Amino acid sequence: MAAQTEDSTEHSTEDSTGRPGRDRPLRIAMIGAGGIARAHLPAWLALGAQVNVYSLEGTEQLIADCGGGTACSSLEEAFADRDAVDVVTSTDAHREIVEAAAAAGLDVLCEKPICRTAADTAAVLDACERAGVQLYPGHVVRFFPAYATMHAAVADGAVGRVAVQRFSRTGSRPVRAWFHDPAISGGIVLDQIIHDIDFACWNAGDVATVFGRATRTGSRETGVDTAQLVLTHVDGTVSYVTGTWARPGTVFRTTFEIAGPDGLLRHDSTAHPAITVDTGAADASAGDGEGTGLLPAMPGESPFLTEIREIAAAFAGGPPPRVSAADGLRAVAVAEAGVRSIAEGRAVAVAEVMEGITAGRTA
Amino acid sequence: MKIALWSFAHTHALSYWHVLSQRADVELVVTDPDHGRRGNEPGGEALAAQLGVTYLPDYAATLDWGAEAVVICSENSDHRRLTELAAAGGAHVLCEKPIATSVEDAEAMITACAEAGVSLMVAYPVRFSPDFVQLKQTVDAGALGQVLAITGTNNGQIPMDARAWFVDPELAGGGSLTDHTVHVADLIDCLFDGVPARSVYASTNKILHGDRVSVETGGMVSVEYANDVIATVDCSWSKPDSYPTWGGLTLQLVASGGIADLDAFASRVDGHSETRRNGLWLAYGTNADELMINEFLDAVSTGRRPQPDGEAGLRSLRVVQAGYASVRSGQPVALD
Repeated sequence: MAAQTEDSTEHSTEDSTGRPGRDRPLRIAMIGAGGIARAHLPAWLALGAQVNVYSLEGTEQLIADCGGGTACSSLEEAFADRDAVDVVTSTDAHREIVEAAAAAGLDVLCEKPICRTAADTAAVLDACERAGVQLYPGHVVRFFPAYATMHAAVADGAVGRVAVQRFSRTGSRPVRAWFHDPAISGGIVLDQIIHDIDFACWNAGDVATVFGRATRTGSRETGVDTAQLVLTHVDGTVSYVTGTWARPGTVFRTTFEIAGPDGLLRHDSTAHPAITVDTGAADASAGDGEGTGLLPAMPGESPFLTEIREIAAAFAGGPPPRVSAADGLRAVAVAEAGVRSIAEGRAVAVAEVMEGITAGRTA
Repeated sequence: MKIALWSFAHTHALSYWHVLSQRADVELVVTDPDHGRRGNEPGGEALAAQLGVTYLPDYAATLDWGAEAVVICSENSDHRRLTELAAAGGAHVLCEKPIATSVEDAEAMITACAEAGVSLMVAYPVRFSPDFVQLKQTVDAGALGQVLAITGTNNGQIPMDARAWFVDPELAGGGSLTDHTVHVADLIDCLFDGVPARSVYASTNKILHGDRVSVETGGMVSVEYANDVIATVDCSWSKPDSYPTWGGLTLQLVASGGIADLDAFASRVDGHSETRRNGLWLAYGTNADELMINEFLDAVSTGRRPQPDGEAGLRSLRVVQAGYASVRSGQPVALD
């Protein structure tokens, strides 16, 4: 909030004084109005934030559906008199918007991946560091209750040193076409599997080497896409992460198993449902623009609200959240190594991807 | 049928003894002449007496007795020697998995049995499990469309407390990569009717039980098959010593027309025992060992070739051996 302090003194309206998020509502600029915006905007509104929304399309509908937010017609208008920016556009637009936010002195929550490449991500980290603004990637899986519970246990030594861990993520393929254009989203590794890459690193630290294979059938828009990565961590842990964009209507399912010398932790989002209702007819609807890949059935509050509450608290001067910009860079670098491994049929050292990149390594 | 069980070294010998002893048409003898090198572990004449099965002093004696077929449950590194001995004696062979500890040994076993005109079958029981058979029928019927990717797990307790040789690199041929990759590899082999692997990458470590053993205890094996299917196998000995059961095997198929999950040991009653201070895991599934032995005995009596044969055992062994080569090089290894 370094730049924000000056900002506050420049505004004379009573509304602008006081500490954002404490004495007055946080003022957020949400850029983008697609699938994930429908998870973020209700969370901001639930926290009492005032949200400007700017998007190339869908703004009015999003605001109407979520019952809050103010439509803006330009990035500048959206940024005016704001505390922070929430970037929920397609991945290819992230860098430009985050750099503009940094230039305006605004803190940033940026959906994962921060960018498609480690080089672009490092540049974004640099820009935010120079501007003295906070940047957090939306690795929301860290806020899913089952995953947060598992990580806390792992960190507490529940299984001992992590030896082998597996993560899987399966949902119907996203409906919006940009997800399937590697030039925009980075493809399934950078868009979907990166969730579990980040988590594998959260549990077991940096990755030395990545080996991946991927396959698909049918067209990018209608087929099935799947990839498998083996991560060898610096300290020797072996992780397996796999993701699938499956047929429309496929149940969203995530699983993990974490094994160490002192035990096992495992979870399957389709096991142990707290409540089951059988209405006798399958609902095979394809869901929204994210396919069914946004949220599994789970009790309690939306993990997006948990995530945004914690990041909003940091924007308001509170403690840093559980995920950092450096975590976001690490996940992108590992994912990029995976994409390179899949393309070239060889194991790729993460150091190779990070060669020449210095930003963000100490963050 | 006169059948000889050779060696109690592998713990599966007891299961095979049980199945064979239930068959009215089988005359069974046992020999375990190398028991002495396994120290105080159960085996030899004493175990045979305990089981109430006829014991003969050595392998040759069982051939002299007239064994038509032998079931080899020795340490892995002895599979070649014993198979060649059986073949020379004109006996059909059911050999515990993995078929051998080197590709060269496996090829010699296949040749020896072919030249002697006897069958060589490798003991992969899971492909006989009705649940797996149903999965294969589902795939063969096209209900899943084209299979694209497979994730397999064969995780168990480290077997060293039952038999120490499992963690001896010479006798076993390696650690968990040897012990637990081949079951899943054989299921994939069966699913796609003998498809060979094209490329193998593996990463292993010794974090589990690393203070007690010199072999790898955990790892992942990534395979690309000649039909373009990709697969990853978790071969880790990652079930804790106090786990309520030995371990398990799962297979997930991702296909163009859907996703299928197999839990080969799902059939069980769960519970908890206050006395044992542990969970109860009461398996009630079909005895796949029995179905496998039936296949072997039926092939022996009718003269047809049993499956999985020596070539199938060699294909799954190749995946393991390429895995070790990959661990050494840090890169994927291409197979012919």
